Amino acid sequence: MLTVACDARGSTAVEPFIAAAHQQHPSVIDQKLLVAELYDTRNVPAAFWIDENGRMVRAADPIYAQRRNRETGEVTINTDYLDAVRDWVARGKNSRFVMDASRIDSRLPDLDFDDVTAAANFHLGTYLAQRGEAADALVYFKRAHALRPENWTYKRQAWSFGDIERDYGTNFQEALKDPASGPFYPPLDLTD
Amino acid sequence: MPQVTVLYQDSETKVEPARVDGDQLWLTLSGLEAATGWDLEPEGVCKGGVCVPVPAARRPALINDDLFNLTEFADLIQQPVVHDENHSVWYFGPAGWEWKSRLTSRHAPDFTLLDVAGRPHSLSDLLGKKVFLLFWASW
Repeated sequence: MLTVACDARGSTAVEPFIAAAHQQHPSVIDQKLLVAELYDTRNVPAAFWIDENGRMVRAADPIYAQRRNRETGEVTINTDYLDAVRDWVARGKNSRFVMDASRIDSRLPDLDFDDVTAAANFHLGTYLAQRGEAADALVYFKRAHALRPENWTYKRQAWSFGDIERDYGTNFQEALKDPASGPFYPPLDLTD
Repeated sequence: MPQVTVLYQDSETKVEPARVDGDQLWLTLSGLEAATGWDLEPEGVCKGGVCVPVPAARRPALINDDLFNLTEFADLIQQPVVHDENHSVWYFGPAGWEWKSRLTSRHAPDFTLLDVAGRPHSLSDLLGKKVFLLFWASW
């Protein structure tokens, strides 16, 4: 198990969560979000299953194993997904939850030049915002959002540097309804 | 000329440019190597065993005496470039051969990152084991 915090604010932002989780596994920080880009992580959480040979056998699952409702405090555990992970651990490539090549490819579509241009704008915006130039970063964040509206990582990280209503003229609930953005989390799909 | 910041994916270098011409960034050959690792060789533009041949038709736009046009080179190798004029920062993304083949093999790309204590961890440390890799964030 390896967890990667894609967080431009670095350890200040993520350390309290890591400490609270009492993790027994390596937990690393991707402050430049370059590894997030490498895995085309369009929102978090995103989980990948990687076999003993370094091959992906499931990709980009939008998964919470456990989730706490912010209003009620109620905790729900996704037993279906946890059972799927256990099945893979026990059966390896014979697990019915292992994806074939075409399903993995559909989770990780080929990139085009707009994708990498959006990423470049996002990274330049992040660089400026990390140096206290959040106002100057807006133009680059907005370009990234316009080129790839379906990428929630670009939006949620950018919003964290300022005020979403003041800087982007929207709010989280409105942004969720924007048809250009597509689903916040694509369906988990644990079927064969 | 005042220094510019060149962000070449994960490296950040301050370098004195030879010339800034709108969106075109010209570096000296020593500046080129310092900021990007690329070097001009008889075979082309080379780094770590990879050489990019320079088509004759593009040579004048790319190389002028001992000056090198880094943004023109980015165009040649299909690298995205974004430039912030106010802060004199240039961001260069991955080359075409990197972003086009990145996830097509289904091979999980290796990476090394630090934990909160500053210790490095690589995905490749876990070869031979099943890995559950999870991306998360505080935002």
